[in-house]
Amino acid sequence: MVDEKKLREKAKEVLAREDVRRLIGWKRGTYGYESAPAVLKDASEADELIFDPTCVQNPASFITLEEKLPVPRGQDPDTRKVAVLVKGCDSRAVVQQLVEKAYDRDSVIVLGVPCTGVVDRRKAAKMFGDTSEPVLIKEEGDKFVFTIDGETREGSKAELLADKCVRCRFPNPLIYDELVADEVAVWGADEFADVDEFAKMSPPEKWKFWEEQFSKCIRCYSCRNVCPMCYCLECVVTKQKPQWTRRSTDVSENTAYHIQRAWHLSGRCIECGECERVCPVDIPITTLNRKMTRDVKEMFSYEPGVDVEAEPLLSCYNPQDPEEYIM
Amino acid sequence: MSSRRPKIGVYVCHCGINIGSVVDVPAVVEHALSLPGVAIAREYTYMCSDPGQNLVKEDIKTSGLNRVIVASCSPRMHEPTFRKTLKEAGLNPYFLEMANIREQCSWVHEDHAKATEKAKKLVEAAVAKALVLEALEEKEVDVIPSCLVIGAGIAGIQAALDIADAGFKVYVVEKTPSVGGHMSQLDKTFPTLDCSACILTPKMVDVANHPNIELMTYSQVEAVEGYVGNFKATIRKKARYVDVSKCTGCGVCAENCRLAGRIPSEFDENIGMRSAIYLPFPQAVPAKYTIDPERCLQLSKGKCGKEGPACAEACTAGAVNFEQEDELVDIECGTIIVATGYDVFDAARKPEYAWSDYANVITGLEFERLVSASGPTGGKPLLGRDKKGEGGYLPQKVAFIHCVGSRDKSVGNEYCSRVCCMYLAKQAHLIRDKLPEADITVYYMDVRAFGKGFEEFYDRVRREGVRYVRGNPSEVYKKNADPEDHTLIVKVEDTLTAQALEAEHDMVVLGVGLEPRHDVREIIDLFKLSQSTDGFFMEAHPKLRPVDTASDGIFLAGCCQGPKDIPDTVAQAKGAASSALILIASGKVNVEAQVSVVTSSECRGCGFCVEVCPFGAIELVDENRMGNIVKVALVNEALCKGCGSCAAACLSGAIQPRSFKDEQILPQIAVLGVRT
Amino acid sequence: MSEEYEPNIVAFLCNWCSYAGADLAGTSRTHYLPNIKIIRVMCSGRVNPLFLVNALQQGADGVLISGCHPGDCHYLEGNFYARRRFMLMRKLLEHVGVDPGRVNMSWVSASEGAKFKEVIDETVAKAKEAGPMDQFRRRQLNW
Repeated sequence: MVDEKKLREKAKEVLAREDVRRLIGWKRGTYGYESAPAVLKDASEADELIFDPTCVQNPASFITLEEKLPVPRGQDPDTRKVAVLVKGCDSRAVVQQLVEKAYDRDSVIVLGVPCTGVVDRRKAAKMFGDTSEPVLIKEEGDKFVFTIDGETREGSKAELLADKCVRCRFPNPLIYDELVADEVAVWGADEFADVDEFAKMSPPEKWKFWEEQFSKCIRCYSCRNVCPMCYCLECVVTKQKPQWTRRSTDVSENTAYHIQRAWHLSGRCIECGECERVCPVDIPITTLNRKMTRDVKEMFSYEPGVDVEAEPLLSCYNPQDPEEYIM
Repeated sequence: MSSRRPKIGVYVCHCGINIGSVVDVPAVVEHALSLPGVAIAREYTYMCSDPGQNLVKEDIKTSGLNRVIVASCSPRMHEPTFRKTLKEAGLNPYFLEMANIREQCSWVHEDHAKATEKAKKLVEAAVAKALVLEALEEKEVDVIPSCLVIGAGIAGIQAALDIADAGFKVYVVEKTPSVGGHMSQLDKTFPTLDCSACILTPKMVDVANHPNIELMTYSQVEAVEGYVGNFKATIRKKARYVDVSKCTGCGVCAENCRLAGRIPSEFDENIGMRSAIYLPFPQAVPAKYTIDPERCLQLSKGKCGKEGPACAEACTAGAVNFEQEDELVDIECGTIIVATGYDVFDAARKPEYAWSDYANVITGLEFERLVSASGPTGGKPLLGRDKKGEGGYLPQKVAFIHCVGSRDKSVGNEYCSRVCCMYLAKQAHLIRDKLPEADITVYYMDVRAFGKGFEEFYDRVRREGVRYVRGNPSEVYKKNADPEDHTLIVKVEDTLTAQALEAEHDMVVLGVGLEPRHDVREIIDLFKLSQSTDGFFMEAHPKLRPVDTASDGIFLAGCCQGPKDIPDTVAQAKGAASSALILIASGKVNVEAQVSVVTSSECRGCGFCVEVCPFGAIELVDENRMGNIVKVALVNEALCKGCGSCAAACLSGAIQPRSFKDEQILPQIAVLGVRT
Repeated sequence: MSEEYEPNIVAFLCNWCSYAGADLAGTSRTHYLPNIKIIRVMCSGRVNPLFLVNALQQGADGVLISGCHPGDCHYLEGNFYARRRFMLMRKLLEHVGVDPGRVNMSWVSASEGAKFKEVIDETVAKAKEAGPMDQFRRRQLNW
């Protein structure tokens, strides 16, 4: 269990350092079952930090998206470090970003937070309804205890945990400079049963499913914006020269967009599930990405975001790579 | 003519009737005129001809065309031709796009209407691409005026001499201790019956003495990097354990070697013997001894006899040095000629001919050593000698078998080795010469006597009483178990008389074919060469560029490119030297213009392209982005070959190969993807 | 008007092997179906798998990438990367519900004109069996 007091003290300590510019973590959300991301500048702000089952966001997304402002003449660029609190799943994003040379290892301070699972707001809303006030959630044994609009409610972890947490194999951060709590035991395993189940459908059945899903898409790009692995300076999906996908939100363009993004994430998606969480029209995006994760593992024995020394999947090859379908 | 709007000229070729008889050319022209940006569309019988090219040039000059489409044969055929046309008319040659409506349309589709529709689509796609073509600059790099020749057989020697005589520096690297290659193993050469060593040794000596040639024998190229005009090679000069500056070639060491006469000599095809310290053959160049580190007792076991190495003791010049080490040498050169030669087919792979079983079944190359005056039997075709090399018998009934290991799918060599018909005829003649009473039969499938003097020689050999029987023997086996009886049975069907024969012979010579060197993979990896289907090195074009490889600046000479005889080898070596000299003498070479380029403002420095590039042409460098130092990719245009693997790896689309950018391919997909 | 469905195939051929092999099929006058439209690239490694998606979106009923045999790439390694990418993209498209018979790859060398014809025949047959590709076809704009 994470002691919030200890976490805040550690944060204060780090923020007080001369060579640290920012600290990214979580703070109380403004409403509902989720926290809000916190980007702190000063040690005095550290008391805002929380850690509980509402902390769904992936702070690693912020590292690469920080805008590097133009440096005024005569000044040097601010090369101070950025500190980031990460759960197990979030830490995989840090690992993968380092594999892709997004930044130097010594330009970040990683504070690892061993995690026992977060709440899926959709599941909570189904059970308890929506609310416009922030909700407090505590973990007690195999239950979550909610304080919603002043009332105390309870629900089983099994029914309320995010899907990714049910099968979590990395509750402890894979990379860190310091841990802010003791490591926890691993409880999950992932056999990709959901992917295999989906694969049993015939092509027309699969397309029927996706056609319905992609018709909902409004191309808000929330999925891309929140993804820790989407940090290109100019994203090809919105590029005009050349234009890969039109801006219109018909099924054709939407499908092309989602395939494009799933393709760009193949061998890179670290399954934080943020894309699906933020989708305003509830498209099951991880169903698409997990197919790639599974195939990458099976065909090339590769898992992104676990080994800092690994080479990016599609930058290498094995002369014995499978080629069953090739004439 | 500085209008920025594309003004496209489309030229549809009839190619005589090659295109015109299938594709409705006027209809294609009409369709072209309806396309955006097309100002002119014409048809002509032969666009590649002078009048055809002049059509284009005139239109560029008078109508201000700034893009040209030629719908004709494959760009692999005439892209260089039409690029030149544009250049001569003052238009950047990269504003050309070709539509392949011959090899990939009129020649392959029977339905004329569909072929015409497809031709229209292909022209439309070419127009779509032409609208987004860019002017490219052809850059020049300097050429280092020297050549590295790998292999010092007759091909390598000839090429080296030609370049050296032209006044330029040549590095010659030879794997074995002496130059000469397989030609030095031959006795007489067809059809002139010139003594091989007599015509070869003067050239061998020239190579060693030429002021412009740096000869490195018993050496191998370990690493090569760079690009045309600017190659860097690392050469390993293997330790001979003999100080060549002191060695006089007197041979006293070999006489005294404790293993004298006990090690099979590679030069003598394991028929003759040598010592652990050896000269491959008497006329070896350089005439310096070498110690075989695997057989020498001192080197392999650390101890030679009770009194120490006999060779070192016997050598009056004190040339033996067991402490000698390999030396690594780095050189720079502008061109490379690969002349690594061949290996003969391993007759053990045809077990039905019993080469591994009987000492009187020998290969053609072993035969050469037997009849060579400097060979292990002093030129007498003696078989069955004992371990000391004494005794033996002269054969009375000799058989020669054609096509062993060639024209044979079962061993994976479908090709004809070109030289065997003639060398077997020559060998038959040599037996007739040495053994006037011998019975000589040649079992053949065909006789390919195609060259100058070949047919006449073949006639002569038959007139000398050599019997030619048309049949491919199925088996060779010993007649009986009697160790004194050397008779072999050759089982064959004489196809001209339709008789099955079990012919008796006491010597069978297998006409083994030529194969690529068995360590060919190493050379391929070093120089990034390709192999043809037969396994020999692939030339850039089978008809018109027989000495070039796909890599600029690297040329081929001799049998490494395909089986051939000595005159053809010499001719090709001279051709390779000439090609190398074109680069060296002009001093400059154009590098590929269609290389990759990075839009650094879009690059996020992930390094995927760097990892993927097969030529190491990309690196991450610092860039100052408004005061912040970031890493972006940068392409070395001289190393880049324009393959585009980087572009497919880049998630941002920041790196693109010129002329094959995403924005140039997507319009083609847009046109061709639509089902009409 | 029931016209029999003729699939439209977009093929990406590498300049040194497959495009040359297709040219050889032409020089040898080997006949094959006109359903195939060829786009020349220098290397199969150039082919961004999203080109295949784009082609299907534009209306192609089948796509083909063809390159040099593994180990023989003119640029040494491009086809190895292409192979990895193709295998993955095929799976992704299959997951979305695109008939895998539409997405093809082959190794055709410069001397394999006859094989090229076989590859085309098979690609067209598979696309024919899969039916017209209308799943996420882009709307054509008529200005």
